[in-house]
Amino acid sequence: MTAEALSDAPVQPPPAPVVGARFLGSEPVFWRLLSRGALLLFATLGIYRFWLATDVRRFLWNNTEIAGEGLEYIGTARELLLGFLIAVALLVPLNVAFFLAAFSSGTLGQVAGTLAFAVLAALGQFAVYRARRYRLSRTVYRGIRFHQTGSAVRYAICAIFWWGMIAATLGLAYPFAQASLERYKLRNTFYGDLQGQFDGWGTRLLFRGFLLWLVVVGPFVFGLIVAVGAIDWTALGEALSAGGSDVASRIEAAGVGPALVVAVLAVSWSVLAAALLYPAFQAMLLHWWISGLRFGELTATSGLRMREIYRLYAGFVSYALLAALVFGVGSIIGLVIIGAFESMFGKGIATELLTTAMLIGTYVIVALAYSTIYQATVKVRFWKHAFDTLELSGTEVLERVKAAPTTGSPVGEGLADALNVGGI
Amino acid sequence: MRAAGTGMFFDGTSSAKRAVLVELDPEGLVIRDAEERHMLARWPYDQLDHLAAPGGVLRLGRAGAQQLARLEVRDPDLAHKIDDASLPVDRSGAIARRGRMKVVTWSFAAMASLVLGGVYGIPALADRIAPFVPVGVERWLGRAVDGQVRAMLDKGGAGEAFECGSGPGEGAGQAALTKLIGKLEARANLHIPLSAKAVRRGEANAIALPGGRVYVFQGLIDRSERPDELAGVLAHEIGHVAHRDGTRSILQAAGVSFLFGMLLGDFVGGSAVVLGARAVLQKSYSRDVETSADAFSVDLMQRVGADARALGTILNRIAGANHPGMVILRDHPDTKLRVSAINSRVTSTASHPLLEPSEWAALKRICAGR
Repeated sequence: MTAEALSDAPVQPPPAPVVGARFLGSEPVFWRLLSRGALLLFATLGIYRFWLATDVRRFLWNNTEIAGEGLEYIGTARELLLGFLIAVALLVPLNVAFFLAAFSSGTLGQVAGTLAFAVLAALGQFAVYRARRYRLSRTVYRGIRFHQTGSAVRYAICAIFWWGMIAATLGLAYPFAQASLERYKLRNTFYGDLQGQFDGWGTRLLFRGFLLWLVVVGPFVFGLIVAVGAIDWTALGEALSAGGSDVASRIEAAGVGPALVVAVLAVSWSVLAAALLYPAFQAMLLHWWISGLRFGELTATSGLRMREIYRLYAGFVSYALLAALVFGVGSIIGLVIIGAFESMFGKGIATELLTTAMLIGTYVIVALAYSTIYQATVKVRFWKHAFDTLELSGTEVLERVKAAPTTGSPVGEGLADALNVGGI
Repeated sequence: MRAAGTGMFFDGTSSAKRAVLVELDPEGLVIRDAEERHMLARWPYDQLDHLAAPGGVLRLGRAGAQQLARLEVRDPDLAHKIDDASLPVDRSGAIARRGRMKVVTWSFAAMASLVLGGVYGIPALADRIAPFVPVGVERWLGRAVDGQVRAMLDKGGAGEAFECGSGPGEGAGQAALTKLIGKLEARANLHIPLSAKAVRRGEANAIALPGGRVYVFQGLIDRSERPDELAGVLAHEIGHVAHRDGTRSILQAAGVSFLFGMLLGDFVGGSAVVLGARAVLQKSYSRDVETSADAFSVDLMQRVGADARALGTILNRIAGANHPGMVILRDHPDTKLRVSAINSRVTSTASHPLLEPSEWAALKRICAGR
């Protein structure tokens, strides 16, 4: 390797047409990192999360090689903690305002909840963009940072608009929303002085995903229409307004029973189909996204296999079942301990505190365990598969990038953390 | 001959990769272009930054540098020598482990201090702040809470007014209630005038809201056998008003949700910890508040010369079968404990009747009319 690189250095090496990427992280190491992190999260009631998040990113980034060179994450937990504290300080007055608004009489008090939801949703999108900026500015490749420009306010406004459209079209607007938002994000993403660009088209994703949409949402809409049509609305209205003892039978006569059955069947179908097809959707989305990526002449394609994505979810399910078995045995032991404690000390405050603590503790341990299993099976394997199947062309542009003068914000993605919208 | 080896170098200003010769000088690393041998960088050993990299690669940077120059060494021999020469280079991970231990220790300390703050700090702080909340704010809070409470309690059955005492045949009862309240209020030294009303609810209960509002439920009046019993409960509620407990509980709720909702518990499964901690803490605050309101009732009843033990009597009567479930999730202390605390606080047994028998009879019918 060294000798080969030595001889390559003075002259430009002839660019290979297609170059790949790979992920070199070892799963046992990641398991250890995650389980230790989960224990410390539990013991410190979550204060440790900044360190765990940093460790996870460092593991993922620093074990990833693109075109033969390693990616690096240089963010620190201290930055995340500081950003979080600043965000909390900013959010406190807002929360106090909502708290007081909820108490005031009149329309303000009535709409306070909705208003708070809307403001927090907008702030959440704002935070998503800022968090991305932080992560990019802490990502280093070949000794050069990434960075992000653009306005988080503008992004938040666009995102809110698009999510509204997605809701209004029952998901059909999703491809266009993704294309538009990704175009904005990548146009504002820079590797050194090299500007990113997103070339994916919403229509393309729509064509690919339309069948999925039809299978998941179609029966739901159909069921809804049938259910609404089956009910004799005039009869139902009369039944409700008349009141009296035979309301139930008259509601029955209005055809609510069969309509309800149809609606429940339609919803269960949609939920089941969504769960089963989610991996396929994820694979399709990532495939589309990678194919749309551009950095100058650098283009990417993905050899991502849907079968692999289903396989890694199957891994999650098998670990999850194993964990369920362990927790079953564990909870029996816990019940025995509580029983023994109660027979020794009677039903006092101590027993109650112990019972409550054990109940909450069990819930938290189970939740943390499943989150750990998810990260160690789905998340890291997804990451690995995505990079292992990545194909790049035009990588010679990566040799000629100059560092940009901007450096990122010195504080972490506080708002995203305080609002719980942070990603990896 | 100095120890030397080869590596890869990125200078931090451009992404170009260079093969380099790395020399171990006495003071630091000297990085030279592999071909032309001119010096590219000199990094003192104590300023080396050891960066995470996949196995088999030693990745170094220069600590505190503006540019992110990187040196990557794959030669295990050279990596070993650099590790020996430089203190910050830590391939065994000992420095990282020590740093990690420090973080864990501080996290534990922070968590312990936040939990102590929740158990002792918040109630103490709410106690200090509540007296300084201006009466205007308290009234405003009272109005707001009043709207919510009424929406919850007033089921508006068949054209009945929610409040008793204004319908036909209820005037005498209202007069008696006003007299009873007046006697108590005169000796209570309140910072805010009381506004007490009897309301049509079947439960044997009474509630105090911020801003001096007290609601006496019809069920309580029905189950009181003597004026002193009703007066004892009223005095207890007046105790809540005097102690500004409504305002205090709002302050406490805000404090607990800040501590546990925003600072702690932001992880998977953490919401359960937050909910549990909130429930247990707030109920425990509430039990303390009830105990001191009982004490206030005893003192006030003695000041007006009534039978302070009557509160215990009616508590025993209405306790009955209510409050199943866990003690730590109850907002009132155990009735037996309350009654014995009340009785042990009573010093005088002299009892002047608070109401004439006819007034009491009228008060019992305060919700009788339509």
